[in-house]
Amino acid sequence: MTTEHDDDLPMDPAESLRLIERERAEAERKLTPDPRIFLWPWGFAWLISFSLLFLRFGPGGRVFVDMPDWVPLLVLAATMIAAGAFTGVAGARSGRWISGPSSRQGAFYGITWSVAFFGLSTVLGRVSQFVPDSEINLLWAGAMVALTGALHMAGGAIYNDKSIFILGVFISAINVAGVFAGPGWHSLLLAVLGGGGMLAAGAYAKARSPR
Amino acid sequence: MSQTELPELDPVIHAQARLRVVSSLSMLREGDRIAFPRLQEILKMTAGNLSVHLRKLEDAGYVEVTKTHQGRTPATLVQLTRRGRLAFEDYTAALRSLLNPSEEP
Repeated sequence: MTTEHDDDLPMDPAESLRLIERERAEAERKLTPDPRIFLWPWGFAWLISFSLLFLRFGPGGRVFVDMPDWVPLLVLAATMIAAGAFTGVAGARSGRWISGPSSRQGAFYGITWSVAFFGLSTVLGRVSQFVPDSEINLLWAGAMVALTGALHMAGGAIYNDKSIFILGVFISAINVAGVFAGPGWHSLLLAVLGGGGMLAAGAYAKARSPR
Repeated sequence: MSQTELPELDPVIHAQARLRVVSSLSMLREGDRIAFPRLQEILKMTAGNLSVHLRKLEDAGYVEVTKTHQGRTPATLVQLTRRGRLAFEDYTAALRSLLNPSEEP
């Protein structure tokens, strides 16, 4: 970066064009939030909690690791809340220097996630008492992941971001496949492909972002 | 094309520091405003230096500086005006046609 005092010195056209490109690239780099802050917390949360669910509630009721049944459920709730809080705070922080249409768009999208999950949890909490124990985890996980996939696809639409849209399609697809395969398999698919997919998507987006 | 037909470069933007300011601001979406300290950080300019150049750009109608409050803390927000954006686009087009006089601007 040039900080000399001959600020008003005119430059030749080629030099000026290079300066413009350099400044625009620098501004884009500084103004674009690290894509990993929105993907990695969820990637780790899914990888850890759905792995535990798979180990405790395996396919056909198998128990691979004999831990109290509340452990994976508690870890699931805790990691989801932590990931939601982290992305919410990080998202708000990354947008705090800009005000206008962009920050309003980001805030609306963030609020959409919170309201959608609150609404869905309310419904599921109400009907859970009528669902057999063997299907209850699948009901919650399947519904939540369906919503997550749809919201990522909506994010891709809002931000015109193909990779986020594709991530949403991918999450939606493995969710449906896992629900058909049944309890246990669903958890395994979400841990490995869902969690792993989000970690990979974050790394890919970071590698492609301006540096 | 003769020498006299070469496009004139906008003197307000044709100064290294102000060209840098306008280039950075051009990355914001239309209608978005950036906080002064963040702009300062991107440009690595002193507050005084940046203020002087913003004043000149403001006088030309290229930049709008808004004083506001975010919560209790006062905040200064900067945005490129439509006129500033047009001037920047004209300026880059003029540079390109200076480099490639054969091409139509």
